[in-house]
Amino acid sequence: MVKTLVFGQIREDIIEENTLGVLNKLTEISGISEIIVALFGHQIKDEWITELGKHGASRVVSVKAPELEVYLSRPYVKAMLEVIEKTEPKLVIAAGTVYGEDLIPRLAVHHGVSCAQRINDISIVGDDLHFHTPVRDDQAMKVTRIEGAIKFATSRAGAFFVNENPDGGSPNVESFDVTFSEEDMLVKHIEIKKAERTVNLKDAKIIVAGGRGVGGKEQFQIIRELADILGGEIEATRACTDVHWIEETYEIGQTGQSVSPDLYIAAGISGAPQHVSGIKAKTLIAINTDEGAAIFNFADYGIIGDLHVILPILKQKLQG
Amino acid sequence: MKIIVFIEQIVSTQVKLQGVDYFDSTRVSEDDLVINPSSKNALEGALKLKDQLGAEVTAVCVRGLKPNKALREAIAMGCTDAIEIADETIYTDDPLLLAKVYVEALGKIGEFDLVFLGVEEQSTGSYAIGAMLSEKLGLPSVLYAEEIEVIDSGYKVGHVLEGGRKIVAMPNKGVISCSDSQYFTPRYTSMRGILTAKRAEIPKWTAADLGLSSSVVGKEAASLIEVSFSNIVIEKESYIIKEGEPEEKVENLLAKLKEDEVKLGA
Ligand SMILES: Cc1cc2nc3c(=O)[nH]c(=O)nc-3n(C[C@H](O)[C@H](O)[C@H](O)COP(=O)(O)OP(=O)(O)OC[C@H]3O[C@@H](n4cnc5c(N)ncnc54)[C@H](O)[C@@H]3O)c2cc1C
Repeated sequence: MVKTLVFGQIREDIIEENTLGVLNKLTEISGISEIIVALFGHQIKDEWITELGKHGASRVVSVKAPELEVYLSRPYVKAMLEVIEKTEPKLVIAAGTVYGEDLIPRLAVHHGVSCAQRINDISIVGDDLHFHTPVRDDQAMKVTRIEGAIKFATSRAGAFFVNENPDGGSPNVESFDVTFSEEDMLVKHIEIKKAERTVNLKDAKIIVAGGRGVGGKEQFQIIRELADILGGEIEATRACTDVHWIEETYEIGQTGQSVSPDLYIAAGISGAPQHVSGIKAKTLIAINTDEGAAIFNFADYGIIGDLHVILPILKQKLQG
Repeated sequence: MKIIVFIEQIVSTQVKLQGVDYFDSTRVSEDDLVINPSSKNALEGALKLKDQLGAEVTAVCVRGLKPNKALREAIAMGCTDAIEIADETIYTDDPLLLAKVYVEALGKIGEFDLVFLGVEEQSTGSYAIGAMLSEKLGLPSVLYAEEIEVIDSGYKVGHVLEGGRKIVAMPNKGVISCSDSQYFTPRYTSMRGILTAKRAEIPKWTAADLGLSSSVVGKEAASLIEVSFSNIVIEKESYIIKEGEPEEKVENLLAKLKEDEVKLGA
């Protein structure tokens, strides 16, 4: 039986969604005996614990300290290593967020092993664990195992569904202290610049999205015009919001919004995993000059060509 | 000031190789070997600081089939020098082993201030190397950086974060992994750089030069073990239009969408 420890991530004062997904997934795997969640922070809120219980956590171990208010590698590694020592898990897993991907490899190093990353499934084979990671733009599946007493893994963002279990119990809670030295705090938090989310794209049915291939702020006009004609919304990749071609609210993907439209037109977008992980579209149409762009592996339809030539023609034909 | 950049050489994604032997050296020509775009972002990060602070920048390549070409390109971009660590003994598919090689390489190099890496090792799809290396070195680090500003105490670094960007301060010595933000957009090679690169002597180190044997960094030492690798059978057929004048392409697409009863528009 596999005792599992999950890194309990908090985002904007609630339990981060992918973390709940990981918990749900773990409850579905027979052979996972106990699901423990480690929670860190300046404060630990009761509602977080209730939420974790609803998603399958049977035990919560928390460490409260001002140094843990915001994620920083050193103090979090230190706290998590102590939780591992206290709870003796066989599997340590985190949702594959920026923080999860930062933490897990470090913990693994301290235990002298490597880690599996961005998994979308775990299988138990004998008394070993097999980790399934889609690779090469989802064209292939790599299955790995880890030679070591404790296995470390991160999940792929958006890989697991979040289901509340109404029968979820209330987990046992224990907490302990960890002390930190100046050495642990060499990297200092300054601020989080939160992207303003002024538009909610969750329910958008039709989306026209532009990427770096659009080429500039003014050039985004064609994306807007096409979206208007189709009665849809505009969206973009981080590459575009990074340079303020378009407001941050329109970023789609791991660090932006998630969408599930009927139609997604991707123009000048390469198809980075962090971007496509935010899209669950019924139909995806890609327009890209590069035949080898990963986006074509996710596309149902595509045109190899310059978006500034193709989209105006498309617009004209649609206007009839 | 000295900056070390660890780069990876890959088979260009433009090369369409079918099947599992994508990285099989016998099937690619030297022209198809390129620097991982993610490593290029790291080179740019280091070179920006070189421009600003006058640093020496050394590019080091452990991964790749003929890393010499990648290293010459790194010099042509502006690196001061380069080191090739090409040794078949090293099993580069396990990021922990790669981190061990990097640590020993840094030991042999001697003094350094910053280490730069790309966020992703493209040949394995691993994002672990930055975290593993800084942890093994016991140095502070910032991963997924998007911008760097020099401040009195070291660097102010902005990094990718879900829902925005996080800004932290780090001391002068540490590890930074670079994302492909605007700030890290790689520069082109210069004419002068290309000439310097041609003449440059690039030392070759082996695992043994670093005091490493296959029992430490070879496949037998790996803790991440591949059980299987299989192509995913994709059920849906994509309809990708390559041929024709732009107008014909659009007409072709619209006709196919109509045939498939895909509605464009609300
Ligand atoms: C931890 C982390 C989280 C991230 N989260 C996100 C996220 O949530 N969302 C996100 O989007 N990104 C995210 N990123 C960034 C992501 O990795 C990619 O860098 C980004 O998605 C690339 O955007 P792009 O496709 O627009 O640009 P590029 O990758 O530069 O692609 C541009 C494409 O445009 C094509 N092109 C160029 N000119 C034309 C033309 N005239 N016509 C047609 N095509 C053209 C090119 O062939 C190319 O394929 C994240 C990165 C990290 C490290």
